[in-house]
Amino acid sequence: MSIHILPPEVASQIAAGEVVERPASVVKELVENSLDAGATQISVTVKEAGRGLIEVADNGSGISLDDLPLTVSRHATSKLSTADDLFQIATLGFRGEALASIGSVSHLTLTSRSRDSDQGGKLRVDGGHISAVEPVGVPEGTVVKVADLFYNVPARLKFLKKDVTERRHIEEFVARYALAYPGVRFQLRQEDRHTIQTSGNGDRREVLASLYSLELAQQMLEVIAEYEQLTITGFTSAITFTRSNRREIILFINGRWIQDTALVTAVVQAYHTFLMVGRYPQSALFLELPPELVDVNVHPTKAEVRFRNRDHVFRGVQRAVRRALLAHTPVPDISRESFGPASDPVDFQRMDQAWPSPDQDFQQGQLHWEPRDRQLDESRVPLLRLIGQVAATYIVAEGPDGLYLVDQHAAHERILFEQFLQQRQTSIPSQVLLEPSVVEFSAAEASLINDQLPVLGTLGFQVEEFGLNTFLVRGIPQILAGIEPGAALRVLVEDFEEDETPLQAEFEAKIIARVCKRAAVKGGQTLSVEEQRVLVEDLEACQSPRTCPHGRPTMIHLSVDLLERQFGRRGAR
Amino acid sequence: MKVSVLQENLAKGLNIVSRAVSPRSTLPVLSNVLVATDEGRLRLSATNLELGITCWIGAKIEEEGSTTVPARTFTELVGTLSDQQVEMSLSVRTQTLNVHSGSSNTDLKCIDSQEFPPMPTPDSGDAIPISVNDLKEMIQQVAFAASTDEARPILTGVLVTVNGDELTMASADGFRLSVRKANLSSSTSRPQLAVVPARALSELARIISDGDQMVDMILPPDRGQVIFQMQDIQLVSQLIEGTFPDYEQIIPRSKETRSVLSTSSFLKACKQAEIFAREGSHIARINITPGGELKPGSIMISGQSEETGSSQSEMDASIDGSPLLIAFNVRFLREVLEVVKTPEIALETSVDTAPGIIRPVGDDSFLHVIMPMHLGS
Ligand SMILES: Nc1ncnc2c1ncn2[C@@H]1O[C@H](COP(=O)(O)OP(=O)(O)OP(=O)(O)O)[C@@H](O)[C@H]1O
Ligand SMILES: [Mg+2]
Repeated sequence: MSIHILPPEVASQIAAGEVVERPASVVKELVENSLDAGATQISVTVKEAGRGLIEVADNGSGISLDDLPLTVSRHATSKLSTADDLFQIATLGFRGEALASIGSVSHLTLTSRSRDSDQGGKLRVDGGHISAVEPVGVPEGTVVKVADLFYNVPARLKFLKKDVTERRHIEEFVARYALAYPGVRFQLRQEDRHTIQTSGNGDRREVLASLYSLELAQQMLEVIAEYEQLTITGFTSAITFTRSNRREIILFINGRWIQDTALVTAVVQAYHTFLMVGRYPQSALFLELPPELVDVNVHPTKAEVRFRNRDHVFRGVQRAVRRALLAHTPVPDISRESFGPASDPVDFQRMDQAWPSPDQDFQQGQLHWEPRDRQLDESRVPLLRLIGQVAATYIVAEGPDGLYLVDQHAAHERILFEQFLQQRQTSIPSQVLLEPSVVEFSAAEASLINDQLPVLGTLGFQVEEFGLNTFLVRGIPQILAGIEPGAALRVLVEDFEEDETPLQAEFEAKIIARVCKRAAVKGGQTLSVEEQRVLVEDLEACQSPRTCPHGRPTMIHLSVDLLERQFGRRGAR
Repeated sequence: MKVSVLQENLAKGLNIVSRAVSPRSTLPVLSNVLVATDEGRLRLSATNLELGITCWIGAKIEEEGSTTVPARTFTELVGTLSDQQVEMSLSVRTQTLNVHSGSSNTDLKCIDSQEFPPMPTPDSGDAIPISVNDLKEMIQQVAFAASTDEARPILTGVLVTVNGDELTMASADGFRLSVRKANLSSSTSRPQLAVVPARALSELARIISDGDQMVDMILPPDRGQVIFQMQDIQLVSQLIEGTFPDYEQIIPRSKETRSVLSTSSFLKACKQAEIFAREGSHIARINITPGGELKPGSIMISGQSEETGSSQSEMDASIDGSPLLIAFNVRFLREVLEVVKTPEIALETSVDTAPGIIRPVGDDSFLHVIMPMHLGS
């Protein structure tokens, strides 16, 4: 074997591999360039999931005719000149590598006209070979066309995922940037279909609505906080809205999307006690930090960063999110203007008015983090006086600060859930059945039960295998006594999603939540006064009485204040 | 219709039948009480379609007729009347009932009696006479152990069997079983069996009038109903369809340990343990220790809660067999001890996973089986 220097094309293809992994990476680099160029409109066109064509057009500052060839050569950048600048990076790009890398693995066409020139220019790069600049008449801004990506790197091509997956990556990426830059008008066309379109009017919540749905946008709580040089803004989901994974927790630092497991954990921790195990919030947080406090030059695709003071950032994120939650999670209140539909209890806009909004004390500089006990107190409910039952579904009670409407089913679910968890610390008692009950399941359900027999045992189910897909239930958790045993077992394994192999912790939490849901009193069930009283008292004793284990609210609060306004008593005298 | 009755009788009759009124029915007439002249007496009936109660009271009838009167208004009104005599007359055309008593004069809006569901007329043929005392006690000892979960309707009922001169009632909610037998004064010609809603039996026990000695139980063939007929009261209930579990085979045939102890001390100890077991698990642990040469046997009952603390009480017992630690739902224990009539009970157990049986000592007409609880692995 002899050692030899790689031919330049091969070397640059290898380098390109670092920067350009997949079509979405091309989109990312091009969009970041447009943003760096101060564009207010960016449109992205994708064909054949990015393998055929990726085109990004912007109305940014453009590139002068003279500079055109430089932009596509390696280590040519306008954004950085000295090594010191590396510690002060305020632009998304800084390596001067992206265009060169992309050009070495595709047919790239760069067309641009600079703001202060009447003449535009056009340039082609084919597998790294740069053509001469050709003058053209084009509007201000830049268009980069990347055709036949990886045409000369078959190995890469082979590793691309299914078209849907690649398209999803592109879409996720554009969506994130649209959210981070609400002042920029984004447009994404994939295979001739508009998939993303934002107005660029600067309203982030509007972007949320257009990316996801109006409903989701309404469920998102505003995050805004500042802690010593760290500003955090953005959105995080109300506890009523959860996801089954962490993918929708997205973070930006100084306008750059980053991946950071620790900070994602900080967000999840802020929801501690609010969400079920295995459920995650959806968040989009935008952190601003002086550039010298964050090192972006640690990862080839700039997806990871290093903080000067990681703990500070971690705590900041956790606090900011928790504050947003606490400010909004107190019993959903009803609007001042109108009694909104009960199904819409956490309408953030109304609630912003009903509660001291986070930015109110932000302005007053009260940014201390409440001690833990305070948090608990805030989520607890005051002592309530039972008034009665409405529609055999809601319990009406009076607290020191007004009227409480309690959803009996959700409330009972919460009570049972906490009792279960409490018993779980020692062991969950099982009530033996008079007659063992034989229950038959589908093959998939049966195998799930078989796998989980030990867990079921610890949860108070005494279940044995009893022939093919059939089980013998000998005992059930005491909490479920009163439910037909077969049904009790069935509710555990029904509709676990097809290919879902739940994690142990997740499975347990799911089971407990399901058990509680099944065991809880139903809406429409008339309760005796005694039963109502016990329910209210038990709810008062809960750690997190305001939501059911699935995150739905257990109660709605009508403050005395609100009542007075509704009846026109305020200011009438 | 034009009748006159004693206020006291009317109030009592309304009180009895109104237990079958369904206040929230979608059928307005079911919120009403049927008031009808009936062979020299006044008949009051109410039904919620599952349960119907009729009561006859003495009346002076001037003009025959019938109507249905809003139960609640009527009952409240009659309760306030101070004069002994109450005169009622119906304007058929407007369905307005005028109630006149002393200085009070009231008009009530009624609904035509044609709209009221027909109440069954028992063909007294196959009546099974049961002593009131027996019936009341049987219901008290059995009905509480029926299930309240509508998902298993059959277990919300009480299995009533008649075989020769033996009447048996049995109920089970999946975790416990209560069986009570009684002798009939006369033998029936053919065995009969029915599952009667426990709720109907509880109502029956409540309204049986003190004056009666005997109650006739009638199971008209193929009507899916049971009728309990007394002198002045009749209760009709729909039966529950389905097959009641074969409870005989659930009753353990053998036992390891037989403990005899005072019913009242056991009950007291259970109530004490329940205070602590109430939150959460409802578990009472029972530690059975047979006595030795000099020491009497003892039973210790304990209940505990993470939050409130724990309680233990120990009592003497004469114990035959081996020691055992077993756990039961303390509410189940309390509920059965509350209905046992004898001063002593026997608790029969074998292992901690096998049922416990409670029998009154010296009375084999009653038996109660409770499944144990298990502390998870
Ligand atoms: N859309 C655009 N509008 C204006 N100038 C652009 C545009 N795209 C690229 N440029 C110019 O081309 C140069 C090279 O771009 P390239 O993406 O290769 O490097 P970079 O952005 O400086 O650094 P990085 O490799 O980190 O992205 C940029 O520094 C910029 O001056
Ligand atoms: Mg760049």
